Amino acid sequence: MTRLLALTRAGLRSNFGLSVLRHRLFVVKKDRWLAVLIGAAALGVLPSVYGLILLVQNIYLALKPLGQEHALLTLGVLGGQLFILLFGLYYVISAFYFSRDLEFLIPLPLKPWEVMASKFAVILVNEYLTVMIIVLPVLVGYGVIAKSPFAYWVNGVLVYLFLPVIPLALVSLLVVALMRVVNIGRKKDALILIGSVLLIAVSMGLQYVMGRSSRGEVSGQAMTKFFTSPDSLLNIVGSRFPPSIWASKAIAGGFSASGLLNLALFAGTSLLLFAAILVLAEKLFYRGLVGLSEVSGRRRTLSKAQMSQRVSSGRHAVRAVFAREWRIMNRTPIFLLNGILVVLVVPVVFVLMAKAGSGRGDAGSLLKLMTSANPLFTILAAAAFMVVCGSLNGTSSSTFSREGTQFWISRVIPVSAREQVAAKFLHSYLVSVLGTATASAIAVWLLRLGIMPLLAAAGLSLVAGLFLTSLGMMIDLARPLLDWTNPQKAIKQNLNVLLATFADVGVLTALFFVVRFMVGAKVAAGVVLVLLYLGLAAASAAAYAALVRFAERRYREIEV
Amino acid sequence: MIELNHVSKSYNKGKVKAVDDLTLTVRPGEIFGFLGPNGAGKTTTIKMIVGLLRPDAGTITVDGLDIEKDALKCKAITTYVPDYPNVYERLTGLEFLNFIGDVYGVPKAERLDRIGKWLDIFELSGAVANPIQSYSHGMKQKIVLTAALLPAPRVMVLDEPLVGLDPRAAHSLKELMREHCGQGKTLFFSTHIMEVAEKLCDRIGIIDKGRLVACGTMEELKALDRTQQSLEAIFLELTEK
Repeated sequence: MTRLLALTRAGLRSNFGLSVLRHRLFVVKKDRWLAVLIGAAALGVLPSVYGLILLVQNIYLALKPLGQEHALLTLGVLGGQLFILLFGLYYVISAFYFSRDLEFLIPLPLKPWEVMASKFAVILVNEYLTVMIIVLPVLVGYGVIAKSPFAYWVNGVLVYLFLPVIPLALVSLLVVALMRVVNIGRKKDALILIGSVLLIAVSMGLQYVMGRSSRGEVSGQAMTKFFTSPDSLLNIVGSRFPPSIWASKAIAGGFSASGLLNLALFAGTSLLLFAAILVLAEKLFYRGLVGLSEVSGRRRTLSKAQMSQRVSSGRHAVRAVFAREWRIMNRTPIFLLNGILVVLVVPVVFVLMAKAGSGRGDAGSLLKLMTSANPLFTILAAAAFMVVCGSLNGTSSSTFSREGTQFWISRVIPVSAREQVAAKFLHSYLVSVLGTATASAIAVWLLRLGIMPLLAAAGLSLVAGLFLTSLGMMIDLARPLLDWTNPQKAIKQNLNVLLATFADVGVLTALFFVVRFMVGAKVAAGVVLVLLYLGLAAASAAAYAALVRFAERRYREIEV
Repeated sequence: MIELNHVSKSYNKGKVKAVDDLTLTVRPGEIFGFLGPNGAGKTTTIKMIVGLLRPDAGTITVDGLDIEKDALKCKAITTYVPDYPNVYERLTGLEFLNFIGDVYGVPKAERLDRIGKWLDIFELSGAVANPIQSYSHGMKQKIVLTAALLPAPRVMVLDEPLVGLDPRAAHSLKELMREHCGQGKTLFFSTHIMEVAEKLCDRIGIIDKGRLVACGTMEELKALDRTQQSLEAIFLELTEK
């Protein structure tokens, strides 16, 4: 037990970089601005949380007269658990199989279940923080407005502590089984990729089914039906996934017999599933893990002709760096999943979401209806869609971080920062262009966009993409995350990617207000478009120039 | 030629002096061995020479070019092998060598010649088409060495280059180092292996706690203390706690 605790403590410290953070904040006194930034971001989230609590209270007031207020708790718990079920996959795969500390842990006198339990605990803590935004407003909002007794809060805390266990255990069972199958043969990377895409497809299918059940209706009547009708999503899912019902009964029931019984059921099931994965870990974990990172290569000597063919005759430095970026991004499964696959998959997700409803509730029809009043709005809506699909991925905002400890090579080669940045810019921008292309195809299909509006929208998205690519790269360059041991950290858990997404959303919001102002001032649609084009083009040129200047300075400053 | 002039570097806002007022000249055609205990400042010095770290004070020149002001020109004539072969694992060995050839502007004919030669010497020909991910530690070290030799640089800076190499490869590397300097080029390397330094180096520098405590030919170092015969004994004496 002591070993398990020590292992978990070390895992938590390493995962959250606690020791490094303490060293940087209090010993070296570097990065203090980061603490301020995180504080500001946390404060920024508060209004949204408050808004959610108000929403919860409104729903509560609507449900109370029907005696269905407990459904709200079920919804909160279910929401959190589904979120973990759908998105926990990346965490679980990377923590169980791709964190580099495993290389040190396997030879230690530890049992496979101990290693897995410690990893599980680390993900658990991560999930407490992640689902906080979904679940806490419901628990707190409900508790406050219902003037719930002490027992409600005690059971609420206990349910919250057990909440991620069931979905995480289910995902873990799936992943451990998958990796046992994947860890054979030579094409492991391909199998990991196919497995991940399949799991994404399953989660998208789930969203599709959920979307169909909700039919996109938002009227009060529909809301009531949603919560009370016996065939509503909530009750269907709730009845097929009883833990969420137990959890809500446990919280609402307090210390009554029903409350305690349901709490025991919820906690008992969680512990049982947790025990199941530990048993499975003992049997399958190391068999899926050991040798996973091994890549076998067939030894074959190239003939003189083959060698001559493969040795390049001298590419320009920008082309050479571009080829490096392209190959590394597309050959690292985690990078590929978050780069090109995102720009290909996200537009499809949008289609599924929009098509999920049927008839007039269809989000696509709604969008058409909203934008048909003014062709300018059609173009802008389509352009916004293309920008979101093309530029809101982590390619540009992780371009320096992805190099990791190999950044030393970029620092010693005789290629100027200007040229290296140009190659990286072209690579990130190409991904954004791909996204715009997929989104264009979808816009034509979904919104029946004509050729002229399509060209106008795609053009706008491409110009905006120039600006957002430079912006993302600058954010990453300001503080590149180079000391990662797990590629997941460079892109999926990279603060720069999150900051860049916020910045992109900020830019789009600012543009929205600019357009609203111009439309309000009765500026002609054509003029609005031209001004947007010119404005974005000028901003892109300025941003790129700033990026190059910044890179020339940062390439000298960043020490590796 | 490499010249360090009153170079200092500290960490933690000056609390830890990694390199303290280091002045040193490595002449053309010379193999210079850099010795010192762990944490003495060897890697910091090397990283400053190749531009990975910026000195807090002092200047460094490579063949008369200031590494700050003429950074690109310096990089074009210098190659570096780090103490750990951290390279692009997702590229094949040949793709990595092509990348290095491209960025250093090595013409195809020379590239083919040199790649063929070093791959043969390091016995890597059978693995060069495979991803570097599939290489052993020693093979990675060899591909980094091949990449560093590919541009035929005027100056080579190597940090512990013999670690991880098998005896045959280590022997070949020592021959290559000799050949490199025989052409009037400069080689600066750090090592913990006293015998190698003693036999291979034209001159040796010993650094301790960031300061250069001795520098000269083997004969000059021995003259520092007549009772000391081996480099190991001199090293232990000079770097005493």
